[in-house]
Amino acid sequence: MFLAVGFFSWWYSIGWVILVKNVQKRLSNTLAMFSVPSLMRTLFAPWKRIVTNPGAGLSAHLSAIGDNMVSRAIGFTIRLFVLLAALVSMLLIMAIGIVQIVLWPLIPLAIVYGLVMAL
Amino acid sequence: MNETLSLDSLRARKARLGRYVGKKSYRVLQFGTLGYAVVGGWLAWEGEQLAYLAMSLALICFALEQWYQKDLSVLPVRGASLDERLSGEVIGRLSQRYPLTPLSVWLALSTHWQVGFIMNHLLLTSDFVREFASSDEADMPAIWQRARELADADKSEAIEPGHVAISIMLNSSHLIAVLPHLKLIDKDLVEVSGWLSRLLDMIRLGKPFFGGIGRDWANGFTPMLNRFGQNISLGIQSSGAHFGTQTESPGVAAIEKSFEQGANTIALIGPSGIGKTSHVHALAQRLLEGKAPQTLQYHQVVGLNPSVIISSAQRPGDLEQIVLTLLSEAVHAGHIILFLDNAQLFFTNGPGSFDMTQILLPVVQSGAVRLILAMTPSDYQRLKAQNSAFAGLITPVMLTEQPQEQIMDILEDTSIGLEHQHNALIAYAAIREAYRLSGRYDQENAYPGKAINLLTQSLTHGKGGVVTPQSVQEAIEQTHGVKVSSATQMEADQLLHLEDQIHERMINQSRAVTVVSAALRRARAGVSSPKRPIGSFLFLGPTGVGKTELAKAIAATYFGDEANMVRLDMSEYQQPEDVKRLLSSGKEDTMSLILAVRQQPFTVVLLDEIEKAHPNILNLLLQLLDEGALTDDTGRPVSFKDCIIIATSNAAADKIRERIEQGQELETFEKEFTDQLINSGQFKPELLNRFDEIVLFRPLKPEELAQVVKLMMKGINQTLSTQNISVELTDAAIAKIVEVGNDPRLGARPMRRMLQRAVEDGIAGRILRGETQAGDHVTLDVADLSV
Repeated sequence: MFLAVGFFSWWYSIGWVILVKNVQKRLSNTLAMFSVPSLMRTLFAPWKRIVTNPGAGLSAHLSAIGDNMVSRAIGFTIRLFVLLAALVSMLLIMAIGIVQIVLWPLIPLAIVYGLVMAL
Repeated sequence: MNETLSLDSLRARKARLGRYVGKKSYRVLQFGTLGYAVVGGWLAWEGEQLAYLAMSLALICFALEQWYQKDLSVLPVRGASLDERLSGEVIGRLSQRYPLTPLSVWLALSTHWQVGFIMNHLLLTSDFVREFASSDEADMPAIWQRARELADADKSEAIEPGHVAISIMLNSSHLIAVLPHLKLIDKDLVEVSGWLSRLLDMIRLGKPFFGGIGRDWANGFTPMLNRFGQNISLGIQSSGAHFGTQTESPGVAAIEKSFEQGANTIALIGPSGIGKTSHVHALAQRLLEGKAPQTLQYHQVVGLNPSVIISSAQRPGDLEQIVLTLLSEAVHAGHIILFLDNAQLFFTNGPGSFDMTQILLPVVQSGAVRLILAMTPSDYQRLKAQNSAFAGLITPVMLTEQPQEQIMDILEDTSIGLEHQHNALIAYAAIREAYRLSGRYDQENAYPGKAINLLTQSLTHGKGGVVTPQSVQEAIEQTHGVKVSSATQMEADQLLHLEDQIHERMINQSRAVTVVSAALRRARAGVSSPKRPIGSFLFLGPTGVGKTELAKAIAATYFGDEANMVRLDMSEYQQPEDVKRLLSSGKEDTMSLILAVRQQPFTVVLLDEIEKAHPNILNLLLQLLDEGALTDDTGRPVSFKDCIIIATSNAAADKIRERIEQGQELETFEKEFTDQLINSGQFKPELLNRFDEIVLFRPLKPEELAQVVKLMMKGINQTLSTQNISVELTDAAIAKIVEVGNDPRLGARPMRRMLQRAVEDGIAGRILRGETQAGDHVTLDVADLSV
């Protein structure tokens, strides 16, 4: 009796909440693992601070602007790809999480159903 | 609060089930989930009805596995009642089959690793504690209450097995009464509880998160810094090291605050051993964890070592070029904090150091890069004197020694790392001993560094991998050349019979011997102040009555060797400049008092004819008697706390003789005599008041001189024993020597010359003439003496 009460009271209350929290935790871990806030903040920053200081004259100035644009473009591209990878990962985690959360309360029912069908 | 525990509650049942299932069954459930799922899948593929059964079994295994992993094995705290707050590890071990008593609870918990940790570090055994645990159920509410208080004090959500175990020990008055015999007190148990709690916190904390893959992409490359610098942050990241309590220390907070307020160059100032480097490591950990202010988040700390840079410079000018490149990279990278440990090496020219003030100055002025300079207070003062403009740009952060409780916490946490590295066990008492002894004998370094050094050295003295207080004593004896154990192992009965031992080599002066012995017993019993010398005495009396002999006897009986005595004739210290000679660190004067005491702290310091010393020296003596320490000419302190200070004086010796000849006893005029010394201006009252005892020596009577002669004859016989010859004086011969040699002004001093003339010369002649040979026993009468 204790086994059943203990198990079901946990499964349909705290157990379910823990599952939701775990999904949230996985999402925030992914966010941190890909350094999403940091990448968003520096999305257009030059790659590894590689910049050319403008020299004297218009052509040198234009050349420096060009170089720096390239550096920023490289930085933007790499960061964007990482951000996209983070987005895909998070969507995947979210999808799996939602399925888990939905299926969780059905598992005990599925057990009963399976046992009945096996008989 | 009424502390009662119900083992019938759902939580208690879950705890027992969790313990019953255990980790092995959990693995079986995991395996079952996977196995049944695979089988179920295969059967479903085959269209078998049994697939339902296999899949149901897989789901049962999965559900139970989840229940165990997320509930039964962790059993989170969900309330304040005892049932809810007790850790699952405690209630899971308690059984309803027998009544809950301190003994039954102890037996249930004694195999838990936390209890093992406590027992090992207190050098106790579980069986030992079991003997003291009561079998009375009525004792349990008090034990639960105490365990709850311990958990509260440790800021622990759950009441852990360690808390309950310590509480059972604290609840046993018999055990508490026995602890002092094991050199432990109840406070030590509470301290070990806190130590265990911090260890649990560290285990639960796991590896910290350091910012993810894109953390440094907005920062510049640092190839030269990678080559010449030591990236402390990356070191912490890869090792996963924890700096525990250090990360929350006021020092780290002060550094962060200074940076936040706009300072770019910080001088971290503190004596050697205070933990300047570990403060910087703790800061680096906080920066990586993103706990620091927003402007510093994910910054990295890179240490520079001048020796590495110097060794890489091939041509003149290379050095400057390398340093400029390093600074330029740090500026460009934008997230580097440069750490110059032993920063004085960057401001002076010499082997392993070079002066880069001129290179650093523009960087510091512009604030382009953040710098932390670690230096001692004297180095900082030197920098201020040498380059005030540079020093003016630095924000000083002074590190001061933390209170004893915090230092003990640091030592305990550090011990865990040492135990792990050296596969050893460091007893709590050993940590406490390391704190005590390093404080006493290592005057040059600060806590916690000096105690950590001592603990590390003690590891090699551990017996069977266990570091005990004795290991610490042995380590300090080896490294500091002090004899800790000889001082502490002096037997109590030896102390109780100190007078007898001294009288074996001293005739009479019973009053002086008794007074001195009593003072030394007080010191050894811990009744007198531990911050002052063991004893301090002023011996007053005529010449040749045994003042120096008593000092020698004390050195021999108390410190084990007559040679443990530093003797200074104060008539040689009559000029003001003689103070310097007394305080010399030993570089110029190898005979200085400071050097002698530093080399042998357990010593008698005999200051002969103190009244002749210059007043400046007497002022120093005041400091020595008051604080138990002096500072040498280089500013390093030396402790006199293990010394016995004896000053002698012949002041008013005639008056003592007069009073004794009038038939008065010393005790009757001691006080009056001291007052006279003050009134006559021979001694300042503040000096006399600082001595533990002022001891008057009386002139020796003829019968006492006869005993002195007998004592001296023992010495002569000892010398002759190498030739297997012995000499004896008849009573008449002794009386004759005393009669001829007695001079009331000189006491026993002429007796030695008399014996030389009367006995030694005669025996020498006999040996040379062949009248006395090996194996002979010579008895000398009056007629045989050459007086």
